Amino acid sequence: MKTELEIRKALRDWIVKTNGKIRPENLTDETPIIEQRIISSLQVMDLLLFLEQLTGKSVDVEKLKPGIFQNVNTLYENFFRKESYVY
Amino acid sequence: MGDFPRIVEKLCEASKKEYANPYSAMEWPEALDPEGWFMSPELLSIYGMPEYDRLTEGEKKKLSFYETVNFFSLNIHGEKSLVEGLARQLYQKGNQELSPYLHHFLDEENKHMIYFGGFCTRYAGKIYRDRKMVFPRDYAPGEEGFLFFAKVLIFEEIVDLYNVKMSKDARLAPIARQINLSHHRDEMRHLVFGRNLVKELFQRYAAVWPPEVVQEVRRYLAGYISATWKEYYNPDVYKDAGLEDPYRLQERAFANPRAQAHRKKISEGCIRYFLENNILEEEPVL
Repeated sequence: MKTELEIRKALRDWIVKTNGKIRPENLTDETPIIEQRIISSLQVMDLLLFLEQLTGKSVDVEKLKPGIFQNVNTLYENFFRKESYVY
Repeated sequence: MGDFPRIVEKLCEASKKEYANPYSAMEWPEALDPEGWFMSPELLSIYGMPEYDRLTEGEKKKLSFYETVNFFSLNIHGEKSLVEGLARQLYQKGNQELSPYLHHFLDEENKHMIYFGGFCTRYAGKIYRDRKMVFPRDYAPGEEGFLFFAKVLIFEEIVDLYNVKMSKDARLAPIARQINLSHHRDEMRHLVFGRNLVKELFQRYAAVWPPEVVQEVRRYLAGYISATWKEYYNPDVYKDAGLEDPYRLQERAFANPRAQAHRKKISEGCIRYFLENNILEEEPVL
């Protein structure tokens, strides 16, 4: 079981690797990843697969609300909190 | 619009001639033969990998069933958004000449969903979920409509080659062949329509778009081709087929050189069309 810090780091690492251009020090948990086009809407499918792999749970895509992919904070809050509604 | 109105007229005539009743067009068996193939083995997403070679004949056939449910589910999701988009285009300003065919297009796409949905719900009791998401954004004039029809064309070009191959594969269960054949018959017309319209829209709008919009459209479409392919590698399928570590298998299968060569071969005609019409400037990474 990963700690919160480990999960947040894993998310940032995935974003840096997927983007391929952004430097790790330029990505914080507040950086708007969709708005700044660090992650494209087409890459969200890969992000969902990565999130499912990390959580071990299947995401109910129909329950996803806009804003959920805003930044690392929103990803953590929506996919890793115990009371998450997305599964 | 050049020859396009004449093409639209011809397509309308062909659609009227091929008009089918979706409730009597298919012969649905009560149950499927568990010993049957439902997708051609060579089209299975892990074909040629050690993970595939290790499977027994029965396990391969089980995988072919779930991959078919995935293929048909992808079609349902694609056609659902297609129907939404087509309905929006109907009688829009500038689309008067297209509208008679858009009625056929809508009708035929609805029928396809009846076939695909009929198979998935009857025999698998479900449709696989769609992981694609679209975020709202601002578009240049004509960009949203162009991207809509270009994405439809990419999706249908790939699907159609699978349909053609499977409609001719005597190893497959008759219902699987029948659905693939029926889809292909209508798609032939949709592809003619799409190829003409996408070219026409690009010529009309790219000339007035700023260079950064043209560049972004090209980048997006190249990414869309790759994202479309990714959905053929579904960990939910691997899980249902009893394969181990489905998420890692999905990554390995997509990265497999044989699978990359397969994607390139199937997408060849589609990519050539986009390159020849200057919509893409270079081959996308698949």
